[in-house]
Amino acid sequence: MEDRNLTEKESLELITRMIKETQENTVRYAAYPLLIWGYMTLAISLTVWYVLSFVGDYYEIQFLWFLLPVVAFPLTLFYSRKDCSKRGTRNYIDRITGQIWMVFGFVGFFLSVASFVGRVDIYFLIPLLMGMGVTLSGCVSRFKPMVYLGMIGIAFSFLMLWIQGIDRLLVFTAIFIVMMVIPGHLLNHQMKKQCLKN
Amino acid sequence: MFKELDPLLHSQLRLAVMSILLSVEEAEFVYLKEKTNATAGNLSVQLDKLSEAGYIEIEKGFVGKKPRTVCRMMEKGRAAMEEYVNTLRQYINI
Repeated sequence: MEDRNLTEKESLELITRMIKETQENTVRYAAYPLLIWGYMTLAISLTVWYVLSFVGDYYEIQFLWFLLPVVAFPLTLFYSRKDCSKRGTRNYIDRITGQIWMVFGFVGFFLSVASFVGRVDIYFLIPLLMGMGVTLSGCVSRFKPMVYLGMIGIAFSFLMLWIQGIDRLLVFTAIFIVMMVIPGHLLNHQMKKQCLKN
Repeated sequence: MFKELDPLLHSQLRLAVMSILLSVEEAEFVYLKEKTNATAGNLSVQLDKLSEAGYIEIEKGFVGKKPRTVCRMMEKGRAAMEEYVNTLRQYINI
């Protein structure tokens, strides 16, 4: 491209073409945050359930939850930066999705801390919050499986109000499989396919 | 009577850059170069012109040891693009 003047028709065509090209960006690692947080939650929750069910009343095992942000947050940051630098752009969807998860992430973290000192039903509130996050992210990125499975996650989180005992951790795990792991794999499959096509 | 088209935008390379920046929050120099097929020197000159007019902002930094230049559209640039497209419409009679 050069520094030459255009006709009016050429100008409009150029604007349309350039805008269209920026929309065709494929985000290879878009699904990674869902998979990272989903699988980490699954692993920790099953470990906590196993220890409390079969090993003994070691309630200190609940501190294992703090491993989740320590491992998942840097990994998420790493892959989202990798995506941005690979594409060479940052768009509005990246920013809005990032801000949604920032808010839900912080609230989730402080609720987790609060659950150690006060009466906070973390096994109800966390899936509720994360389900909202998944649904909103799905709406912003227009990925329907995330919207529907996120809404199922929200609905199932209310079940936790009626389920008591240590086995509620299994329901908690199942909710995360439905609203994070499954849409994560679906999104990852779609992104892989798009990358191969490009 | 038709309004005159903004001469700063009515050039192939500058208009291409502005169109890209219109639909993303920020774009790296390498990305702009690849999408516009411009030479680094020419692109750099055109970006400076847009920046001097207050249409875009250019941020120069480093990622590790590699230099990284990022461009973003400013509010003045967005308004100029809006006016440019509206004037174009009058010309083409859309």
